[in-house]
Parts: sequence; C-alpha cells; structure tokens
Amino acid sequence: MKLHNKHRNVELIINQELLEKISQLGIDHYPNEFGGFLIGKYSDDYNTLFITDYILPKSYKGSRSLFERSAKGTKSLFSKLFKIKKEIYVGEWHTHPNGSTRYSDIDLRAMINIESSPSVNIKNPVLLILSVSEKKLNQATFYIYENKKLIPYE
Amino acid sequence: MATDKHEHLETVLETHRMTHVQNLVDKFKEKRNEVKQALANHYGSDIYYPFDSGSFKKHTAINTKFDLDVVVPFKKDSFDTLDKMFDSLNDFLDDEYGEIATIRKQKVSIGIIFDEDDDGDVINLDIVPGRELNKDQYSADNKLNLFVYSKYGLFSSSTYIQTNIQAQIDHIKAKENERKIIRLLKIWNNNDGKEYKSFLLELFTIKAFDKEDISGNIWEKLEKVMEYIKDNATKDGFKLIDPGNSNNDLMDTLESWGKTNLSNRMETIIERINSNSDNIKSYFPTNKDFEDDDKSSSSVGYGIKTGGTAYSTPPKNERFG
Ligand SMILES: [Zn+2]
Repeated sequence: MKLHNKHRNVELIINQELLEKISQLGIDHYPNEFGGFLIGKYSDDYNTLFITDYILPKSYKGSRSLFERSAKGTKSLFSKLFKIKKEIYVGEWHTHPNGSTRYSDIDLRAMINIESSPSVNIKNPVLLILSVSEKKLNQATFYIYENKKLIPYE
Repeated sequence: MATDKHEHLETVLETHRMTHVQNLVDKFKEKRNEVKQALANHYGSDIYYPFDSGSFKKHTAINTKFDLDVVVPFKKDSFDTLDKMFDSLNDFLDDEYGEIATIRKQKVSIGIIFDEDDDGDVINLDIVPGRELNKDQYSADNKLNLFVYSKYGLFSSSTYIQTNIQAQIDHIKAKENERKIIRLLKIWNNNDGKEYKSFLLELFTIKAFDKEDISGNIWEKLEKVMEYIKDNATKDGFKLIDPGNSNNDLMDTLESWGKTNLSNRMETIIERINSNSDNIKSYFPTNKDFEDDDKSSSSVGYGIKTGGTAYSTPPKNERFG
C-alpha cells in the first residue's frame, strides 16, 4: 500500500500483510486500546518511508480510551535492528476501539514529546491510528508529524 | 514597503482554508452523521433522508467561521402545521441530546451546541426542518416550507418561507472563481462587524461574474466585484433573486441607508487599497494561526535533525488517547 502526503510531498509504503498483522494485534486486545512502535527506513532521497516492522512494548497499560506504553527494555532490540538491517524507529501506532481514526489531543501531545525527545533524531515521525471493533479493522490512518501538527496521508 | 496584493490575497485564502482545521471538521462531520441517523431512525417514513447544507457544503466556508447545516425534509402529511413540526424536532433533539448539548430554537432551525469535548472543541450544528410544499413532490421539485420562529412579542407572529435549498446549493456549484471572491468578502465582513449576510455577498458575487467580465488575477477579480457592488447596491430596481425562491429578493433585506452604506464601504476599500497597497491587510487579514504553515511546507522530504544519523529510539513513557 502506497500513501502520499501532499503537504510535505512524501510517500509512505507498507505492505498489506504487515498492516493486517498489526490490526490483528489491535483486535486481539479489543475492547482496550493497544499499540506499539513502528520500524522502517527512508529512501536515499528521504522522500519515501518504508514501514518494515513493528515492536511491541514490554510493558503497557490499555483501557477503552487510553494507551500508555513504556520503551523500557527495548533499546537493545532497536540497536540490533539498526546494525543488521539499517531499520530504525519511525513512529508509533495504537488502536481506537469503536472510535474513529481521528487523533486525540493526547495523541498530538505525545507526538510533540517524541519529536522533541533527545533520543529521537527524526523530525517527522509517523502515527498510525487503527479504528477497530470486536472482530475487524474499520479503518487505518497514517499521520505525519510536522511542527506540532499531525497531517494525514491520503 | 508595498504589498503585492495578489500574493497577499492568496495567503489570506490559504490561511483560511478548512484543511488547517481538518481534525475539527472531521468531528463536525461525525456528529452530523450521527444526528442524521438519529433523525432518520426517529421520524422514519415521515421524512425524506436529511441532507447537508451550509457554507461547508457550498465550499464557501472559511476556517474562522463555518456552518454545517442539516436539512430535514418532512413529508406533507407528517404534521398539519409547520409550528408543530418545528416543536416536534426541538423536543426530539432535546430528549436525545439535552444532557450533552444545549438545544435552542433559532430563526429557521434548531441549534445543537454540544458541550466542550476533551480537546476543548465545541461542535455546533443547525438542523433546519422543512415540509414539502406539494404532497409527494419533494423528490421532484425540492420545494420546502420553512417555519420562521420568532420569540419576540405577540405581534411579530411566526410565519413561514418557501424555499428550495437544493437550488441554492446548485447555484454555487462548480464556481471556483466565485467561491474565492465570496470567501474573501466573508473574511472582510466577519472582520468588520458582520453587518451583511453571507448569502447576500454570495449572490452579489455570482451576479457580478454573470453580468460583468470578471477576469485577471485574484485582486483584479475582487476589485471588479467590489466595483459591481458599489455601482449596483443603490441602483433602483436592482434585485438579487434567491435561487431557492424567485419571490425572495435579498436586496429587500437591506434598508435604503444599508444599501448606501454598503456602496460607500466598497468605494472606500477600493480607494484606500489603490492609494496604498498595505491597506489591503487591514481589510483582508490573514488568519495568523496558520501563517507559518507555508514556510514549513516548503521543505520537502522526511526531516532529520542536524547531526546526521536518523537512528532513533523512542522516549521512555508516552500516553495515547
Ligand atoms: Zn489515539
């Protein structure tokens, strides 16, 4: 699946199978929110982002309208991925059970924190929000973060 | 320093675009669909399916002021009087949303103002009930009778107006040049006490494009439309016919001093901008909230902070909602 963001004129590519895998994880945790980290790499000209994998948090709390995750214990995993495959942390994903894929204020605040965090060297992390119900994925929306804003890919 | 009028107006339009408030617009749409569904469930075969109207539907919305209206076409036999229809809709909305919203009767609609949500956003919708004019003919002629609610005194008794909202929407369809000018005039009007109805400015603009050669860059077009308004507002017999009802002349909504005033205002604006291009900024201001957008979007591609490597690890704890 190839998505385009007009605002920044960039592309995002993710294969269907990976998206389905992530969705299934979200559905399995229904009716609570669930999520994790997105792994990927940029093209040489930095115009395309390939989402290649995900990492699940080792500890998290999920309720019907909140998802709190910790990055504790994942550091070595990230560094291994980088050494072996040149893949890096590129963003976050979480579900909205029975909700829309619209981001909340809390989501935006989290992304502002992430971009300004010293361990993060990318300026445009992505956020994937999955609207899920008990048995299925309703919709998935990718957002690109830029300058305290989240802008959806088409 | 002189202002490039064309460039400035493009920025004015850009900073007032709805896409800057996409998140908010999505919320409005979601609520609107919810209300439409609730109305359809409640009224069943007494109505035709509710449809969207308002400036958002007409593509003349600006992000500092926009309306998402819902029109509910009732069937001829649903109520024997228009005020019963109006009251029934008010009661239903009050039962359904009274606990999470303020419901109020307005001139031709019932307003729903939802309580502020967690993000501090207030969603409001106007629900316009109309009863079909001719039994079983609505699908063919789109004609509706609206109830006009008046809360003032005994003597200004409530009445009704006949209209065709679909025809009003169609009137502005596919007129991108006109819409730009309408948005600019609305920005001026909202910035200047909102003395004139948006619908009046809309009809003036469409008529100007229709009668005159409105061409050139965006400033030239705006100037020609303002000239047209200046020249015609006070002209005897000049009419602006409501496309929804040929008996309704929007010029009648202005008193003669109001017409003179509008004409003079247009004259002053044109004069002042032509004598000093910087004056355009006070009549047609940008929306400061979104002014920096252009600059940041001029950089393309995914960004890396200075220092070289893109390698990142996520910060320790984050909460999402
Ligand atoms: Zn969220």
